[in-house]
Amino acid sequence: MTGRLTGNWGHLVTAVLIVCLLLAWEIAGQMKLVAGGTLPAISAVILRLIGEFDDYWPHLTATLRTASTGFVIGNLVAVAAAAMFCLWPFSERLFRGINITVFTVPPIAIAPVLVIALDGDTARITLAALLVYFPTMTAALTGMQTADPRVIDLVHAYGGGNFKALYLVRLRTALPAILSGFQIAAPAAVLGAILAEFGSGARWGLGSFLLGSLGRAEPDRLWGIGLTATAISALGYVVAAVAAKWVTGENKALSLTVSQVRAAPAQGRLQSFAMVLAALLFPFLVWQGLIWASGLSPIIAKTPFGVIDYLFLGKTAESAQARLLVALSQTVPITLLGMIAGLLFAFLLSLVSFVSPAIMRAILPFALFTQTMPLVALTPLAVLIFGRGITVTLVITISVTFFAAFVVLAQGFALIPKSAFDLVESYGASTWKKLWLIAVPACGKWIFVAGRLALPKALLGVMIAEWLATGKGLGNLLNQSRGYLDYGMIWSVAVVSILLSVALYQLAELAERLLGNGRVTRD
Amino acid sequence: MQGLPLSFTDVAKTFTIKGEALRVIDGLTLNCPAGSFTAILGPSGCGKSTLLRLALALETEDGGSVKIGGEDPVIARRSGSVGVAFQDAALLPWRSVRDNVRLPFEVLGTAPDDDQIADLIELVGLKGFETAKPGELSGGMRQRVAIARSLVTDPRVLLMDEPFGALDLILRRQMNLELQRIWSAKRPTTLLITHGVDEAVYLADRVIVLSSRPARVVADIKIPFDRPRGPELLREAEFHGLCDEIGAYLETGREAA
Repeated sequence: MTGRLTGNWGHLVTAVLIVCLLLAWEIAGQMKLVAGGTLPAISAVILRLIGEFDDYWPHLTATLRTASTGFVIGNLVAVAAAAMFCLWPFSERLFRGINITVFTVPPIAIAPVLVIALDGDTARITLAALLVYFPTMTAALTGMQTADPRVIDLVHAYGGGNFKALYLVRLRTALPAILSGFQIAAPAAVLGAILAEFGSGARWGLGSFLLGSLGRAEPDRLWGIGLTATAISALGYVVAAVAAKWVTGENKALSLTVSQVRAAPAQGRLQSFAMVLAALLFPFLVWQGLIWASGLSPIIAKTPFGVIDYLFLGKTAESAQARLLVALSQTVPITLLGMIAGLLFAFLLSLVSFVSPAIMRAILPFALFTQTMPLVALTPLAVLIFGRGITVTLVITISVTFFAAFVVLAQGFALIPKSAFDLVESYGASTWKKLWLIAVPACGKWIFVAGRLALPKALLGVMIAEWLATGKGLGNLLNQSRGYLDYGMIWSVAVVSILLSVALYQLAELAERLLGNGRVTRD
Repeated sequence: MQGLPLSFTDVAKTFTIKGEALRVIDGLTLNCPAGSFTAILGPSGCGKSTLLRLALALETEDGGSVKIGGEDPVIARRSGSVGVAFQDAALLPWRSVRDNVRLPFEVLGTAPDDDQIADLIELVGLKGFETAKPGELSGGMRQRVAIARSLVTDPRVLLMDEPFGALDLILRRQMNLELQRIWSAKRPTTLLITHGVDEAVYLADRVIVLSSRPARVVADIKIPFDRPRGPELLREAEFHGLCDEIGAYLETGREAA
């Protein structure tokens, strides 16, 4: 195509753009242009970081230790689970409730619960592992399921069973997908470890360091911690990306696979009803079982009945309900608004990438940067620049939602057959005409997929902003209850935000099915 | 090793697609004696491949029975007496040519016969490419790896589903010659599913023409030519007469649907 910058020129544009942006940052910092000097010059941040490096070291190693342990455990569980789902498809349906919960759970909502129920490191490792599980599991499962069916037939034709097919064909086929899952999982592990440091009273860890520095008016310290957290996230991403490149000889996946937990195959109505019921009840059973197994006091560790008791039966029920409803009424609208804004941004970005790949290549590193930059590190910085109003919530929500959505939309654009463009081009259509006639309509169904993937992230972004910045909504309620040791409320907020997230996800899925001309399936 | 007889007796198979029952095979009987070469022709989607998948126990019949050497195909395939080649090569991209040919042994859990592997790679004309990956080979070369793989366990029953369908005419002819040579040496009972009338007539002892869904036998034609059959056979009038006759049956089969 015309107008595309080839390899070296694209890199040059990227390099020049990066240098320009860093220069702009430096100048803005030196001249105190942004919000009265809350954006320090990059040189000041780096100098301070180097000067205080001895202070950073124990925090850095603490986070690295828990994040990497969680990364390993989460990935082992994820690959094992994917293998199980692949070998026994009914188990995937049974675990559907668990999988969607793990995918949609706002980690910040369960961090206090984990901190209550588990001791220091274990809570951090668990949260890191939880966040690692879903991206790797879906990537591994999709990888295993996309194994060449003819080769699987061949294995069966020589009398090999499903285990043999898994071992000889599926695992190795899934390897590139698993490694691309690791690319998403690595920053997620860092985020999980840091989030579980919040409110844990832990002395060491970047999250504790961040919280401890939040009260002081030292933007350069906050930026330093943010950069450090970004650096270790990026390190994990790069290691996984290099491994993936080494295995496949190319580097492709940037985000979650588009195909999600697929609909159950046709079966009897009674049977499928029983399956849905089982999938719904299973997470609650696991929750109950874990509490029993932990042997914790029922005052601290609430079971499903404990939460029902707190919210509906106990003497505090009325006030608890009132507080929750107020929080929900603040959180839900901004989450939806944030998601729409994020989608819009992603759509514009994918249009840019379609019209001018050269500009896109220059933007992409910065987009990636916002993804590897842990959310929690971003928030205090955003507060410094945007204040504590609705703007900061929106900015944070857009920054956590747009990237996954963008990757989905860009994939959607990429999947449009080239012949479709050739056809209209041969009638003399301009780039814009091609966009309008083919790309935009073809993108329609992908918008819904992107929305479904972006919703849980939007809720997470809003809750973090509420906790750290705006003092409203579910995030704030969680933070307050933690301060008052109101265990019933901590559990209730966790459960309500998970239910909210799952409900929004299911609504998005429904919308996708009703409006998005059919589900997007893999084939 | 002697071939094993392969028999389909009153076989029926129905698929359910989007809640609708689709009868693909209905009461089909076909006996392939030990050491015979049978080619199956029929319109697209008539259930030819399903027949082959039934013999591989990749599908289960709804009625009737499929037997290899008088036993269930599951037993036959586990004992390593079945070889298979599909329309596409179905190679593992991360394995070399040699390791791909070795795959059946690994699935069966038996010791690989390295001499046999080397011989077959040479036989299909891939000597020197043993360590190449499938990605480095042309389509025709990949297909020859699959042929070598289908023969590596010295199968007593060889099942082939359009193994040369993706090849160009010249390569196809060449592969037909090679297949005939290999088959004559080892004499496995062979079932070849194909779209090519000339290929069927050239290779088989017997050509079966199936009708559209549900598949039933429209014609069962004995091929009288002596073996070994050279490429000059392709230019003989008798050969073309037979091809035209079978072509006519194929059209009837389509009309019958």
